[in-house]
Order: sequence, then structure tokens, then C-alpha cells
Amino acid sequence: MALPLFLIFVLPVLAVLLFMLQDTTSLAAWAALVVHTQLVKSLGLSLATGGAATIIAIFISILIVSTAFEGGRLPGVSRGVGPMLAVPHLAFAIGFSFVIMPSGLLARMVAPLFGWVVPPAWVTSHDPYGVALVVALAVKESGFLVFALLGLLAREDARQSFMSQRAVAQSLGHGSFSIWLSVFLPQLADLMLWPVVIVFFYATSVVDMALVLGPTEPPTFAMVVWSDLGSSNLDHNARGGAGAVLLTLVSGAFLFAAFTLLYFAKAAFMRFATRGPALGTLPLWLGLAKWRGLEMVYVAGVGVLMLLSFAPLWPFPELLPPRVSAAAWSQVMARPEASVASLVVAGLSSLIGIVALIGWFETRRERDDRLVVLVSLVFLALPSVLTGLGQYRLLLHLDLVATAPGLLLAHVLPSIAYMMILLRAPYRAFGEHWRVATQGLGTSRAAFLWRVKWPLLKGPIASAMAVGFAVSFAQYVPAQLVSAGRFTTLPIEAVTLASGGNRSLTAAFALLLMVPPLLVFGAAAWWARPRWRQA
Amino acid sequence: MSLGLTDFGLTLRGRSLVAAFNLRVANGEIVTLMGPSGCGKSSLLSAIAGTLQAPLAMVGDVQLKSASLVGVAPERRRVGRLFQDDFLFPHMSVGENLLFAIARGEHHARVAKMKAALRDIGLEGFEGRGPHTLSGGQRQRVSLMRSLLAEPQVMLLDEPFNKLDNALRGTMRSSTFDLLNQRGTPTLLVTHDVTDSPRGGRVLKIENGEVKDV
Repeated sequence: MALPLFLIFVLPVLAVLLFMLQDTTSLAAWAALVVHTQLVKSLGLSLATGGAATIIAIFISILIVSTAFEGGRLPGVSRGVGPMLAVPHLAFAIGFSFVIMPSGLLARMVAPLFGWVVPPAWVTSHDPYGVALVVALAVKESGFLVFALLGLLAREDARQSFMSQRAVAQSLGHGSFSIWLSVFLPQLADLMLWPVVIVFFYATSVVDMALVLGPTEPPTFAMVVWSDLGSSNLDHNARGGAGAVLLTLVSGAFLFAAFTLLYFAKAAFMRFATRGPALGTLPLWLGLAKWRGLEMVYVAGVGVLMLLSFAPLWPFPELLPPRVSAAAWSQVMARPEASVASLVVAGLSSLIGIVALIGWFETRRERDDRLVVLVSLVFLALPSVLTGLGQYRLLLHLDLVATAPGLLLAHVLPSIAYMMILLRAPYRAFGEHWRVATQGLGTSRAAFLWRVKWPLLKGPIASAMAVGFAVSFAQYVPAQLVSAGRFTTLPIEAVTLASGGNRSLTAAFALLLMVPPLLVFGAAAWWARPRWRQA
Repeated sequence: MSLGLTDFGLTLRGRSLVAAFNLRVANGEIVTLMGPSGCGKSSLLSAIAGTLQAPLAMVGDVQLKSASLVGVAPERRRVGRLFQDDFLFPHMSVGENLLFAIARGEHHARVAKMKAALRDIGLEGFEGRGPHTLSGGQRQRVSLMRSLLAEPQVMLLDEPFNKLDNALRGTMRSSTFDLLNQRGTPTLLVTHDVTDSPRGGRVLKIENGEVKDV
């Protein structure tokens, strides 16, 4: 039963990693890339926006988690971060753009103060410096990093160890600020390496959010690559392929330089961290304010999407639309293809993923996981323009472009990669003693799995399936490439609409993109709820 | 200095866990508190240090030099603690663990103080080593020295010799008590093993939620 995971995940991903480098063998492609007029500016913009978003997200997430830990608010933060993660980046970007645009919710809210009757001359979304993109990325990725940090702190052994170390540091005269800076952060830093790598690569290479919010003259480099890949000119395609590799190499080099710098700064930092007891405490209010701010951005984004989807007309500076109409929603109903395709593909991705993964875990030893985990992390961290291109080239080779199996495979790969990372630790941590105890009762292996092991692992299995669904549901880059215009999914539809003028319909599709993952996460949480109340 | 507990007790969800009692620990004195596991003796120490977690709560008053500690943040109490585990920070070297506790000041003077402290516990030249490279007894000695370098006004020992083997236990016990006596730090020792207590010292027992003299 280890074979399915190997055939539908490990092998294809390895092939993708190979095929994505195909264009690097073409000298002409590199030559064309080097003379590209936007190369230097765009690459600089990508690194600057991605780097800024990553740094801001790191700061925000640390502030939120540390103050929540000190203030006893971790359970609340952990309940709130699930829905935030379930919202696809694209839907978030569309909602965010409707909040900050000149005729957006924000301007309407302050309009009475300034007596505005026409939208202000803001250059908010698509601003030339990428500020809107940075803010949106920073907010979205803060949620991801908060989730990763919570995962580290939630394990009972880790929590106990931190509580004890905290008591010791307090007895030595250290306040909460010093404890987090000198004791906790250095220990968490090593464990946060992969999440930060994933965030940085994502932020420097994001396509769907940049299409909605990013700068255009020049655009970020991922946009340059994206328009090359979408071109009907084969030379441009090859240039795009080389560009995707270049973007990855430059981002990787940047990250490597940053980590090298940090490595050498460590000695100086430890000297600073051990300069003696300090009583300063963490600004709990600031962390709470940041968390509330994050929640507000989501609430405002979802709120404005709901209003817009029912408002064909919404003149500035009205805070509410003058009349409600279901026109956009009836248009949505009239073209269900994208919704059906996305739901079916996401549902199948989640099911295929869980069957393949459990088959793997039940038949392979734990140490065999290492290769699969590494493959998953590399696949997740690499820019989607690069892995998407690799998937496209692979499917082209197999003659599966623009076919249903091809589309499904392109969605299954990222889903399984995430599910692997999330499910592995809890599944492998399942105590052997349960099996021994059950064997003593003369229970068959099947009965043990169905009646003991899987019910006990209900929580991790349910959330892995929800994540698999959400990841598949949000795929834009690979979907667009491998569908080659024959299939349309919700993200494809939403990106197309976002660049057009029909805001009401765009809002409806953005909501459609958001609601199913939220429902699935909710269902998973409900299904995995404890059967008995904790004492 | 002297530590005073007045009408001091513990409650669990509002119900009495350890009935109120009075205790004064003089400078240089080491009082032993004994009781079976789960009787709340470790929680009594947490209450004195200010790190008691709900649903546990304390009643009464804790005074240091006759000033009340109630409501004072744990890091401001200057109450040193030693546990069963050494809790040396794994990302800091032995020397850095000690520097973490030494009051701020001129760097070279602090380093000299750290090196002298290592010499005192027979670990001269160990400052660059990682805590995991030390034996259990060596780690516990570093841990003790780390608490003392923060110049605590009270010391709370929570079964600190429990994880050491028998041969080591005796020497660790006497060297710990010597160091505390030299400094005159009032000390409360919690244990379930009567041989841990210093000879001739006062011993209290928690029985059925009440503290009694032995």
C-alpha cells in the first residue's frame, strides 16, 4: 500500500523537479532573458516586496504569539487562525483590494470626515512600490507563521519545557521581554526555518495576489515570468522557463545570504542575550492590538465582498449599497462549471491524498518518511511558477495537458505535500502500546485500525483532509497552465474577473472561492470534536 | 532577609488543598517540607515564587524582610529556585547560562565572576561547553550556581537531588547546603526523602492537607 503514494506523488514530483529545469538547457532562452528590459528592476521589486512582507510577518507573528502566551490567550488565537488559513490567498487579495481601493470601504468610511464626494486620488492597489502587495502578503503570511509557532508550542512536552524554563528565568530576575528574546526565540528560530523559507519563496514569487494587487510598471518578476509562460510565442515560453529558474536561484541566494548573516550574528546576539537580568515586560496590549487588527482585515474583506456581491451599483461615498440585487449570484448560478470542477477536484485531491498517505504510513517504517518529507518541503517551498511549469512540461510529455487526469494530478501534488507535512507527526506519534493492548484482546488488524487507531487519530486525519481540500481548491498557477483553456476552475475564473470591470460578479466569485474551504474546516473541527467534555 | 509565611495556604478550585499555616525561615536556615507526591508541596513553592497556575490559588501572606510579596511579579521577587531537572538553557553554553543570571555591568568583570563561580563548583574551564556534554551532577551544580549568582533573597529547592545517583547525592547535598549557609540565604527544601534534609534542621510534614512539625 506504499505504492500509490509513490506513483501519484513521489515519482511525479521528482519528474516535475526535473522537467522544470528543461528550459535552463536552452542558451537562447537565457540570452533572451538577460536582455529583458525589465529584468533588474522587476527582480529587485520581487526581492524587496517579498523580503519586506516576510520580515513584517515574522515580527507580527512573534509579537502575537508571545503576548498571547504571556496573556493566556493562546486558545483564542489558535481558534481564530484556522479560518484565516482557510481563506485562499486570491480571495483574500480580492477582498483586500476592495477595502483599500480609492472607491473602497476604507475611503467610504472616512469620506464624511473629509467631505469627499468623489473617490480620493489614492494609488492603493497596483501601486508602483508594491505597498499594497506587501501589506496583503504580510497579513496573510502572519497567519501562517502564527499557525506554525502555535504548532511548536502546542505540543505538551514543548509547552511544559517552556513553562519550566520561564519559571527558572523569572527566578533569576528576567521579565517576559527578556525571556522571549533570550530564551524562547533562539530555540524557536531553528524550528521556524522551513516555515520562513516557504513564506519567503512564496512572497517573492506570488502570482495570483500580484495580479490583483501588485505593481504593473514594472511588475514583480513573477509577473514577467507569468506573462512569458502564458504567451503563444514559444521563445517567450522558454524565456519564461529560464526566468522561473532565475527567480528561484536569486531568491534562494538571497535567503542563503540572510541565513549566513544570521549565523555569524549569533555569537554577538548570544552575548547580548546574556548581558544579565532585565525586568522589562512584553507589551501585551500591542500584541492584542495586532491580533485584533489582523481579524479586522479579514472581517472587512469578507464584509465588503458580501455587500458587493449583492450590489450591482454602489455609488461613492455611500457606506451601504442603495439597493440589493441577486443579479451577480444568478450569473454565478448560470455558469456552474468552474465551481463544480473546483469542488470535484478538491474533494478528490483530499480523498486520494488521505488514502495514499495512510497506505504509506501503515506499510512503511518511520525512517522511510524522510525522503517523502524532503520532497514535500522542496515542492512546497519552490515558486509555483517553477513547479507549475514543471507540471505542465511533465503532462505535455505524457500527453495529459488539457485532460481531466492531468488537471487532477496538478491539484493532487500540492495537496498531498501539505497533508504529508501535517499528518506525519501525529500519525507517527501514535502509541504502539494501543496495538499491543488490542492484540491481547484478539482483535484483527482491520478492526484495530477502524475501531481504535483511526478513531483516536480522527482530529489529525480530519484537519489533514480539510487542508488537502483547501490547498487544492486554491491552486491557480498549475491549474491555469495545465488546463490550457479547456477547463476553468474557480481561481482561474476569479483572476479573469478581477482584471475586468464587473466588481459585483468578482466579489461573488471571490466569496465562492472562500466559503467551501471554510465550511470544510468547520466540518472537520465538528467531526473531530471531543466525544466527552474535558474535566 | 528571612522568609515569613503568615496564614499561608493553598486552595484548588476554591477548596482547601493545604490548610493555612505559619512559618518563619531565618537567615541561613534550611527548613525541610515533606509529603507524598500530589500533596501540594511543589505548588507551595510556586506560590512563594509567584508562578502558581489556576485553578490553584494561595491564601495568606508571604513576606521577605517583612515586606509582602503578594501581587509582586515573579521576576521582581528575587526568589531562587532549583528543580529536579537542571533546566540549563540548551541553546546557551555553560558560561552563557551563568552570565544570564549575573547582574548587568562591565563585561569583563561579569566574565571574571562567571569563571570564578565555575572554579567554586570544580568546573574550571567548562564555560565554552554545551550543557548536554556535562554529567547529571555537573549540570545540577551549574544550575545551583546559576541561581546563586542572581543573588536570591530566598532559595526554594524542589527535590533537586532526586535524579542523582546515591554516591553523588551525598556530596551534592552537602555542597549545596554549604553554599547556602555561606550566603545566609533562608531556604525551603521540598522532598519525600527524609535523608535529603540537613542534619539538625527543622522538618515539617504535610499530612491530609495540614502542615505539622515533626
